[in-house]
Amino acid sequence: MSKRYRQWVKDYQDQAWTVARYILKDAQEAEDATQEAFVKLWNNQDNIDPERVQSWLMKVTRNGCLDRLRRRRDTVQFDESYMTGDVSGPMQDVSANETREWLKRAIAGLKEPYRSLVVLRDVNQHSYEEVAGMLELNLAQVKTYLHRARKQLREQLAEVRP
Amino acid sequence: MNEYENKWEDRINALMDGELSATEAELLKAEAADDHDLARAIIEAYQLQQLMDAVHVERAPDSLRKRLRAIPREHRSVPRFSLFQPRWALALAVIPLVVIVVSLMRPDTPSASEIAQARQDIALAFAYIDKAKVITGREIESSVGQTMADAVTDSVNRVIKSPNLTSKENKA
Repeated sequence: MSKRYRQWVKDYQDQAWTVARYILKDAQEAEDATQEAFVKLWNNQDNIDPERVQSWLMKVTRNGCLDRLRRRRDTVQFDESYMTGDVSGPMQDVSANETREWLKRAIAGLKEPYRSLVVLRDVNQHSYEEVAGMLELNLAQVKTYLHRARKQLREQLAEVRP
Repeated sequence: MNEYENKWEDRINALMDGELSATEAELLKAEAADDHDLARAIIEAYQLQQLMDAVHVERAPDSLRKRLRAIPREHRSVPRFSLFQPRWALALAVIPLVVIVVSLMRPDTPSASEIAQARQDIALAFAYIDKAKVITGREIESSVGQTMADAVTDSVNRVIKSPNLTSKENKA
């Protein structure tokens, strides 16, 4: 096994999985999408600038997930109940764990590209510049969309918080 | 979002991202003291950030980790040598081209060994011609007579020895 591929798997598998998980909201499909992205990485490893592997991989993972979403819409209505449960209703006396799960569902419920922006920037902690490269947007677009996404989350949070 | 809200959003997000200078941050907080909506938006942004801090990158499941480690085994690289690989196909196609070019570039002047070989070939050819001349002469003599035989064999010999000369050139 290529040593550098092994290192890439170690460094980026969790981030790629997180992106796929939030976008697809289905564990099995997220695994498939993440694996596909890494197969592409393996097959193209000689053509990718090692400095840009992370950015390349996140972009490929996200694009693969969006393709799956499009195909899903073309075929059957997918049960998106997982991670998109009800985010309305007051959160009283809820544990930190429940609050975290509520926020995950709220993020997963955002539309694209807001969802990807929040996951890449606020969950995966990539810089604005890295996110711009991954989503092929300019810096101003990234900030504008991300501000809108955060505002939506704030508004949802204000509705459920007592 | 209107322009006023946009301005807020940019500054609130800059505050959350730590991009505002201390002076700018104080200015925003001072504005919030007089603006209830701005104050509420800043508080909500802080609350969201606190929640976000609790949401981390998720650990990939073991089943996925196993699948990712198996990729190099299951997706081996293309064999290093294959006649059908583009670079080898190209190299093979180039070989006849190189042979043709080299043969075309050979000098017109033959080498000494080639001249010696040619001389041997010519001597051998003339030996056969002389033998043929004798046999042909005998056959003609037997059927037509000596005079006619000499005329035929002499003209044949002339043509063989100087094939490119016409009768007009001979006369000249």
